[in-house]
Amino acid sequence: MRETVWVCMGIAASLVACGVAQGEEPRVDYLRQIRPILADNCFRCHGPDEAARQSGLRLDVRELATAPADSGQPAIVPGSPEQSELLRRVTSEDPSERMPPPETKLSLSGAQIDLLRRWIAQGAHYQEHWSRTPLRRPALPSRSPWADEDHPIDRFIDARLQEQQLRPLGKADRYHLIRRLYLDLTGLPPDPEEVDRFIADRSPDAYERLVDRLLASPAFGERMAWDWLDAARYADSNGYQGDAERTMWPWRDWVISAWNRNMPFDRFTVWQLAGDLLPDATDETRLATGFCRNHMINGEGGRIPEENRVDYVMDMIETVATVWLAATMNCARCHDHKYDPFTRRDYYSLFAFFNQTPVDGAGGNPQTPPVLEVPTEEQRVAVTELEGQLAKLRAELLAQEKTLLEGSSPDSLPEEVRTILQHSPDKRDADQWQRLDKHLEGADSYRQLAARWREWKKRYDQLRREIPRVMVMADRDEYRPTYMLEKGLYNRPAEEVFADVPQCLPPLGEGGKRNRLALAEWLVRPDNPLTARVVANRLWQQFFGTGLVRTPEDFGTQGEPPTHPELLDWLACELIDSGWDIKRFCRLLVTSRAYRRDSRATPELLEADPENRWLARGVRYRLPSWMIRDQALAASGLLVAQLGGPPVFPYQPQGVWEEATFGNKSYRQDRGAKLYRRSLYTFWRRIIAPTMFFDVASRQVCTVRVTRTNSPLHALVTMNDITYVEAARELASRQWRAFSQEGADRLLESLFRRVLVRPPQASELEILRAALARWEAYYTAHPEAAEALLSVGEAPRSAGPATQLAALTVVAHTLLNLDEALSKE
Amino acid sequence: MLWQDPLAREVTRREFFGKSATGLGIAALAWLLGRDQAQGAGRVGGLDGLPHFAPRAKHVIYLFQNGAPTHVDLFDYKPKLKELHGQPVPDSYVAGKRFSTMTGSPQGKLLLAPVEPFKQRGACGAWVSDFLPYTAEIVDELCFIKSMHTDAVNHAPAICFLLSGGQIPGRPTLGAWLSYGLGTENDNLPAFVVMTSVSKGTTCGQIFYDFYWGSGFLPSRHQGVKFRGSGSPVLYLDNPAGIDPGVRRGMLDDLAALNRLKWDEYGDPEIGTRIAQYEMAFRMQSSIPELTDLSGESPATLALYGPDVLQPGTFAHHCLLARRLVERGVRFVQLMHAGWDQHNSLTTELYTQCKDTDQPSAGLIKDLKMRGLLDETLVIWGGEFGRTPFLQGNLADRPRWGRDHHPYAFTIWMAGGGVRPGLTYGETDDLAINVVKDPVHVHDLQATILHLLGIDHERLTFRFQGRDFRLTDVHGRVVEGILS
Repeated sequence: MRETVWVCMGIAASLVACGVAQGEEPRVDYLRQIRPILADNCFRCHGPDEAARQSGLRLDVRELATAPADSGQPAIVPGSPEQSELLRRVTSEDPSERMPPPETKLSLSGAQIDLLRRWIAQGAHYQEHWSRTPLRRPALPSRSPWADEDHPIDRFIDARLQEQQLRPLGKADRYHLIRRLYLDLTGLPPDPEEVDRFIADRSPDAYERLVDRLLASPAFGERMAWDWLDAARYADSNGYQGDAERTMWPWRDWVISAWNRNMPFDRFTVWQLAGDLLPDATDETRLATGFCRNHMINGEGGRIPEENRVDYVMDMIETVATVWLAATMNCARCHDHKYDPFTRRDYYSLFAFFNQTPVDGAGGNPQTPPVLEVPTEEQRVAVTELEGQLAKLRAELLAQEKTLLEGSSPDSLPEEVRTILQHSPDKRDADQWQRLDKHLEGADSYRQLAARWREWKKRYDQLRREIPRVMVMADRDEYRPTYMLEKGLYNRPAEEVFADVPQCLPPLGEGGKRNRLALAEWLVRPDNPLTARVVANRLWQQFFGTGLVRTPEDFGTQGEPPTHPELLDWLACELIDSGWDIKRFCRLLVTSRAYRRDSRATPELLEADPENRWLARGVRYRLPSWMIRDQALAASGLLVAQLGGPPVFPYQPQGVWEEATFGNKSYRQDRGAKLYRRSLYTFWRRIIAPTMFFDVASRQVCTVRVTRTNSPLHALVTMNDITYVEAARELASRQWRAFSQEGADRLLESLFRRVLVRPPQASELEILRAALARWEAYYTAHPEAAEALLSVGEAPRSAGPATQLAALTVVAHTLLNLDEALSKE
Repeated sequence: MLWQDPLAREVTRREFFGKSATGLGIAALAWLLGRDQAQGAGRVGGLDGLPHFAPRAKHVIYLFQNGAPTHVDLFDYKPKLKELHGQPVPDSYVAGKRFSTMTGSPQGKLLLAPVEPFKQRGACGAWVSDFLPYTAEIVDELCFIKSMHTDAVNHAPAICFLLSGGQIPGRPTLGAWLSYGLGTENDNLPAFVVMTSVSKGTTCGQIFYDFYWGSGFLPSRHQGVKFRGSGSPVLYLDNPAGIDPGVRRGMLDDLAALNRLKWDEYGDPEIGTRIAQYEMAFRMQSSIPELTDLSGESPATLALYGPDVLQPGTFAHHCLLARRLVERGVRFVQLMHAGWDQHNSLTTELYTQCKDTDQPSAGLIKDLKMRGLLDETLVIWGGEFGRTPFLQGNLADRPRWGRDHHPYAFTIWMAGGGVRPGLTYGETDDLAINVVKDPVHVHDLQATILHLLGIDHERLTFRFQGRDFRLTDVHGRVVEGILS
């Protein structure tokens, strides 16, 4: 069905593109119309995979498809469908000749066969796959007739709308705009005061100034971080059996800070993949490489360390391939990629870049070296101070010991004591100290000094233990050779390979080291056709709900082609030419009219474009669950907006961890402020993810695709999780304190605005008014229920009449569960 | 995602037409109520065109035995093993085979006779050891497959392989495929339910990973809903303090009224689905407690499942709930019971393990049969691989005898919907090490299960990362020999 739509669009598009007069045969587009047919039906046996190739026929390369196959017949004779074996075989009635063979259960439709015939008749022209063609900045289409102000993105979008004969909707109202913008750029809703200011600001650049304010807010980095953590498979535990806790959170804080500082994306890339190899490497650049080490660690008994190590390296390169190249490199682990020109050799050549770390894969240590100590500022100060103290004490101690050793006769100082004293004080164990104490009973000043030394040393050791250690990257001195692995098995090495980039992409270049740094720099080189497109697409997805390419993880032939290929290329060029300026890029997206459009779908638009691919209307979709939670906390006033730090343990139903881990892990819920931190800081146990989120990445492997489902289990969370009920009662209490003197309507209106930003319509207010009256009557009759409701959660129950507060709480809870509250609109 | 979800797409279309014709569409409301006549009586969701042919079973209960039960001591009787007890395993049986690192090289390992005696049982004469007296009573209902074999040698990858067709997490599991393809018959309950338990006093527990019931790349509403062993069986099911069902109902009415205003104004079909799902959540708040209220079960029924049946979190309790779930139309029930990993506890923990599972499993079959549900329910009992016919440990130290992981042969049984009762299918060699007749690979088992549900395993596919994925990858053939 979708295939058909595509074909139609393709034809429509090429009609327009070529300006073909009616009646003339339209030109068949290889990439949009032919390649998908061949890829789905033929490439498995007649494609890039050499091992699987049948009959010496390869159809994905024109020179080979038009050359004689094993049979002596060329599959394709350009210009002559009649002489083309391909066409004879797909139309053959003889099951032994028919392609694809009947046992594959694949078959071509009449329309597909007709397309093939016309394509061959027109000369069977091939094109390079769109995502690997060199990036060239497309010319801007002309200004659209609807444009009240000019924006390059809208020129591209509107050009396609004209082709589709769709008329875009106007701008959303300011209430919708400010909510949309706040949620997209900070993940939080705006304060009512901020809304009032924006509504009142009639200056022409009010919107742009709002954008700049939000880009400068620290919450921007937190919002951007979530998607990056999904891609980086960040978690606070190892995964697998044991699921030991790790301390990668300083890396997470670094990510937030990098987004907030607007670190150019090319540097962001190089630091995370190879910050340890930079000539001027610092602790910060090394910390950034924690990205690579966020993979799961398997501590299961009976596993072979080398097998684990190989798994980790595979995870690293598959993550890199997805995040920067949108390449499904994992398909080439065991054989050449079936659809894209990535070979098994390419896979293991990438593997070689990451195969040089000293990690050995043994055990489940969540701080498997190499690690980096990342002290907080206080810890750093304390360490320096203690080290100074210890140095001073050590000098005194050694001086006194020297005197003891030199000034005592062998009788008064037995050999045993002499031996101990010759050990450095740092190396002595408790037993040795005890023996010293015993033998030197008379030497009080020495013993006091030694006791002080031990005390300070203990404090120092304790402090050092408390400093978080982040797993980072390093290459070992000795080169580890890399072999292609049969079936991807660690113990089936075949031919040796060397570090290199996939052969179908621009070469790494001669000279210089072929290490991770070279790879990282190659990824962000302007002639890399993929990275900028892939990153631009993911950012588009973040603001428009789906990418211009709807398969952000796959830009290969089996992924979807972009709806707006020229726009994607233009955006990618913007990204590179701006020096990979992310904030500037975000600003570019949100200032377009396409972003600012009204999202009310007319029946006509719904029928013409049900999935809103052409963006004639504004996007509307359910918010990520973490944002729904943050929104509830923010609206209620409970949110604690502290940036960074160790993970927190908010409300979670009892027993969930215990059950999943046979009682080995107990969830110790936090108290006080930590219950109200942003969702980003919630402790992420890999084998049992936080239960209050839904449709989230598992954080087990790299995920760049958004899941958006609509399930009853989600409704149960937002209706019954303590977080939401407590938020509702706090929201109600605060509004009641501020507005109860001004009448029910004013109260309901302020409540409504606190959640949905816009004021309610009369019909909505009517429903809320009736609800409030109903619940007041109910809680008057059930005072104990009112008290119970007002005691949910740990925030103290606020002063005020129970019936009214409880009634208002139910209304607030209803509002928090509205589809509009759960959605970006 | 909306665009790849046929159900959601169908709503889009239907609601659109309904809406433009009559304001708020009648058809849309009918869908909201989950009563879609076009899909056939009682069915909610699923793909058009499925089942591909008349199904033999409508429901599945998978009694998954995590940790790998020892086929050597329970089902696969080999007199020669007794004869060669204590002798080194002949090289010809194990040459070139990979075992777990705990075994390392199998060379020179000593063969170990079954711990308990075997007998032929029932009219069909199937071999079952004294470890499983209750299973022994029902062999005439069962179909044993003694020639199972798999590709994986460690627990998590092997379980993942059996349930999802891939060793690496990320593919949809059997239940998710069925929910996606066939929908469900009761929209007061999820289509795919999971319950996990662990043997009493086991020292070697395996973790239950959520990818054992994951939906992979299928829309996540198809993932298994895991009932919990303690507290509320579904998370967040209970109303908060101070909100009784009446208040909740009123709240949902207000919510629906407000959402409908929004729907009229914005036309977004997701709003309609949202209203429906909140209603489903509300129904689950009562259907789940009703499901778990066992007060109506007769003492005779309870006795079938053994002494643990009323204790939440036990395998016995879950077996009874499984029957109640399929009775209510749930498509796929996956019970997972851990503790079968007898590396050094064949003469100790294996007894407890069998005691925990034997009677409830047999009781479930009897109960289903008595209620006429066995014909339409496929029950599968088995683990992720077998155990080595040779010893792990020291021959002189009987209390610490064990067997290691063995992927080359293992036994499972199936019963009910469409499988031949009283049949023993496939054969291993005289030491139970390798399959010698009618091998059944994991993908074959998967193909067969789908076949019994009326599905051609090659035609139930989902496009992801540019590939049409299916449960059986690119393999699998239906095991015709076990079909009734």
